[in-house]
Formats: sequence, C-alpha cells, structure tokens
Amino acid sequence: MTAAALNVLGAATSPPIEYETLLPFLVLAGGAVLTLIVSMFPGRFVQRALTPIVATSGLLASLVLFAIQLNEPPELLLSGSLRIDDLAVVFSLLIITAALVATVLAWRGSTVREAGSGEFYALLLSAVLGMTLLVASQNLVTLFLALELFSIPLYVLCGADLRRNRSLESGVKYLIIGSLGSVTLLYGLAFVFGATGSTGYAEIGKAIATGNLADDALLLVGVGLTLVGVAFKASIAPFHQWTPDVYEGAPTPITAFMSVATKAATFGLLLRLTGEAFLPLYHDWAPLLAVLAAVTILVGNLGALGQESLKRMLAYSGVAQAGYLLIGVVVGTALGARATVFYLLVYLLMNVGPFAVIISRERAGLGDGLTGMRNLGREAPVMAWSMTISMITLAGLPITAGFVGKLFLIESAIDGRYAWLAVVLVLGSALSLAYYLRVVAAMWMRPVAKRTGRPGRVAAVAGAATEGGAGRFPELVAIAVLAALASIVIGVWPQPLLDLATDAAEAFFSLSN
Amino acid sequence: MDIVWYVALSAVIFSIGAGGLLARRSPLVMLLCLELMLNASNLALIAFARMWANVDGQIFALVVMVVAACEVVVGLGIIVALYRNRVAIDIDELDSLRDPTEGAISD
Repeated sequence: MTAAALNVLGAATSPPIEYETLLPFLVLAGGAVLTLIVSMFPGRFVQRALTPIVATSGLLASLVLFAIQLNEPPELLLSGSLRIDDLAVVFSLLIITAALVATVLAWRGSTVREAGSGEFYALLLSAVLGMTLLVASQNLVTLFLALELFSIPLYVLCGADLRRNRSLESGVKYLIIGSLGSVTLLYGLAFVFGATGSTGYAEIGKAIATGNLADDALLLVGVGLTLVGVAFKASIAPFHQWTPDVYEGAPTPITAFMSVATKAATFGLLLRLTGEAFLPLYHDWAPLLAVLAAVTILVGNLGALGQESLKRMLAYSGVAQAGYLLIGVVVGTALGARATVFYLLVYLLMNVGPFAVIISRERAGLGDGLTGMRNLGREAPVMAWSMTISMITLAGLPITAGFVGKLFLIESAIDGRYAWLAVVLVLGSALSLAYYLRVVAAMWMRPVAKRTGRPGRVAAVAGAATEGGAGRFPELVAIAVLAALASIVIGVWPQPLLDLATDAAEAFFSLSN
Repeated sequence: MDIVWYVALSAVIFSIGAGGLLARRSPLVMLLCLELMLNASNLALIAFARMWANVDGQIFALVVMVVAACEVVVGLGIIVALYRNRVAIDIDELDSLRDPTEGAISD
C-alpha cells in the first residue's frame, strides 16, 4: 500500500521542468542571490566594483539568453503556467535593458551606498525577475505571484534612501497604494476564478466563450476589479494619483527604471489578459478602457503643465503616455498590440535620457527642479542637446521615434474604429508641447532678470559646480547621448524595432484568434 | 451551506478593509486593513474552490498567504525606518510630496 501511495506521490510531484527554456529566469534569480553573497565580503573594491559587476553580468547573461529565444516557436512551461513566446521575449528584453540602464545610472550615486550595494542590486534583480515572469505568465496564480515579486522590491527601492524623508515617504505611499492595487486585482482574480472555475488564461477564455458567461454578474465584477487593479499598477487615471509623489520622492535611478519597466510589465500583462482570457468579453471592457484612455491622456497632460519638479513633470507625462499606450489595447487587434509594443520600446529610448540629465544636475547639487536646468545649454551643451532631443521625442514632433510611435497608435485606433481616441491623442500631444518646450526654454534661454546683479560670481560658482557635475560622470553623458541618438535613428529608420514589435504581436495573436 | 454566504462574508470583510483604509490615518492600521482585504480574497478563493471541487483556489490562497507575509515585513520595515527618522507616523502629515497647486486643500 505504501508503495502504491509513493507511486502516486511520485507521479504527482514530478511535472516536467524545462530547465533550458527557464534558464534566463534562473540566471536572474541566481544573480540576485549571488549579488547578496558577494556583497557580504568587506572592502571598498567589493562594494563599489565587484557587486555591481556581478549584478550587471547577471542581467547581461539573462538578456543574451532571452535574445537567443527570439523567433523560436512558442513554448508552454511548468504545466502551462508560463508561456515563452515572442511577446514575453520582447518585453523581457525591454525590461532587462531598462534595468541595465538603471544600474549604470545608480552606479556612483548615493542610493547604492545608503541602501547597501548588495541589497540594492539584489532587489533590482528580483524586481526584474518578477516583471519577466509577469509578461510570460499564463495562469492567475503565476500572475499574482509575479506581480508581487516585482512590486515588493520596488516598495523597498523607493524608500532606499533611508535617511532622506522624501524617499521614505515615497516608499510608504507606494507600499499602501500599490498594495491596494494588488488586493483589488486579487479580489477580481478570485471572482474570475469563481465564475469560470479555472486559473489558466486559455481555460478562462474557453469557459467564457462556451459557457455563455457574457452576462454573468460574478464574472463582470471580477473582470472589472482585475482591470482596476492593473490600472493602479500601470498608473492609468483615475488610479494614477500615487505616481507623481512616488516618482518625485524615489531615488532618481529607480524612478527611471520604474517609469519604463513597470509600464512595460503591466501593459504586457494587460495585452495578455485582454487578448486571451477576457477576449470573449471584448464588447464589455473595450468601451470602458477607451474612456479610461481618454481620461488618462487629458489628466496626465493637464497635470504636467506648470510642474516645477522635472521628476514630477515626467511622472505626469508618464501617465499621459500610459493613456496613449492604452489605445493599442482598446482596439484589441494585432495591429493595436504591435503599436503598443512599438511605443513601449520607443518609450524606453526617450524616457531614460532625461533621467540621466536630471541625475547629473542632482549630483551637482542643483536638485531636480526646472531652475536647475538653467544655463545647461552653456555649461554642458552635449547634455542640453540630448535633453532637447528627448523632450522633442516625448512631445512627438516629426523625424523622432515618438512621432513614429504615435503614428502607429493612430493607425491602429482608426483601423479599430476608435478614431475619436486618435483625436484625443493628437490633442494631448499638442498640449504636451507646452511643458516639454518649457524645459527646452529653461536650458537654452539666458536668464534675463538676474543678469545685472552680481553676474560674475554667481555664474562662476554655478558653472564650476555643474562642469564637475557633467564632466565627472561620463556614464550619464553616454546614456543621455545614446538615448537621444537612438530616438533620432528610430525616427528615421523604425524598421528594426517595428520588426520586434510585429514578432511580439503576431506570436501572440495567431494563437488566440 | 450555500456558497453565496461565504462570498457575501468575504465581500463584507473586503468592504471593512477598504473602509478602514480610507478612514484610518495610521500606516500601521492601514496595513492591517490591507491584510483584511487580502484575507477576504482568500476566503472567496477557498469558497469558490469548494464550489468547483478543485484545488486550484486553495493553492492560490496558500500563495496569497506567503505574499501577504512578505508585504507586511516590508511594510513594517519602512514604517520603522520612518519612525527612526522622526517622520510623523500619520498619513496626513506625509505631505512633503505633492502638487504645488494643491496646497489649500488639506491645510
């Protein structure tokens, strides 16, 4: 009898584990553990150089392993709880690249010293692991676990400047609002499970389609709560209120990482949920999300007007961009998915540059305000030019990557019979020029009023501080310049990124439709 | 007993949690309210698992418990760090980050 029981146990405890395909995830998890172990050894060399190198190599190895899996046929892993297709791979590449940029931005900053080198990088790697798992998940349990695996490290990272009150405040706010989002999502997932009886995306989609559940109150409440939970995480209005506070207070490299990677992870999840599990309910959620998209674009762009802190301005601009991205989700077509993925790839290029510039100003002791940007054009022309290009790209003027990205979104909106959303997008972009160009003006225009006072001395002091600020950190200059160059190159020749986005959208929609 | 009662109870607990989160000003109590909401979800999950006679919901509930524990650890850690920095442990006092235009509302 015991032998039989053991047999049953043996059969039950050994589902196939596809180690080879799982390797990029395992490398991230291993990298996080290794980073912590390495950082326990004392010494400046270990803290300043070795720990970042271990963490960066983990990220790079995972990036290469994901890149190898591009254009492979889709594969279901771990009894169908993860699916590695081009959508998962492209989003993972995007998220890991954002993390690599964040490690470079944080490299010689005060946050790493304050939080402890090992802890900082290990948390960053676990957040990346959670995000990559989230965009690959095929199951409600995996979804929730992955979501929390990236949220909880981010709560800590936001409060990582342990002796700066604003950082702690940002951590507490993100913890409470983020957890509220998670809980709302979880309650929604419980109802979806209750209505359909399964936790797999494909099974849920099948149950809704075959079981005639379109009018089921339990299911509709579940879907609604789930979408609200995701909206919290993706900072879609009216669930965006935490975004400016958290982005302003968090350490700037973390803000840069969050603004891009969190958006990518949550929109990857949204594409999967709406395109697979909730697709039979398209006519219920699409109008709702369309209204949210329009509200988000308006709220984000209006909120960004008149902000003095650049991090805060970029947070509101991020809210507006989330509205643009939502358009591709609303139309529910492969064209829409491609537009959203393409815009996310472009968003990485245009959003990291400004943060590099802000960090260089912060390290020069000028803070993240608009006033700190004054005279940047004369003191560090290279930085100022990069920032100008990034601002123009974010606003979406022609010959930039942002323009091409918005063009694809408009195309998908018109194709999906949501032409009015395209109009809102154009209006929002026009509005956004006001605050993006304000930054450009602050950098290049001479301050008129203050010239008469004691010009020599003030200018000299400010000049000395910022010359050091930009010159001492060549890695910040490199990132700002690379991001600006890439925005222009992609604006002229979008094909490489467009191919990636097309692969991602097709791999996914060929199965579900 | 009918499964509806379990779901109704979980909805009541979830609402108590949500109400508390809105009404209470101490981050500690707000964390408690979040726990209440998480456990309401657990109750719903387990009730639905019973209804469908499969274990998926129970496994989900176990995972949620692990996650809830992690969240509390992190939350308490941040609140202790706040306390050490002598920042007021009152959510209304946490207003150094806000829109410049909103000043008149809470003062």
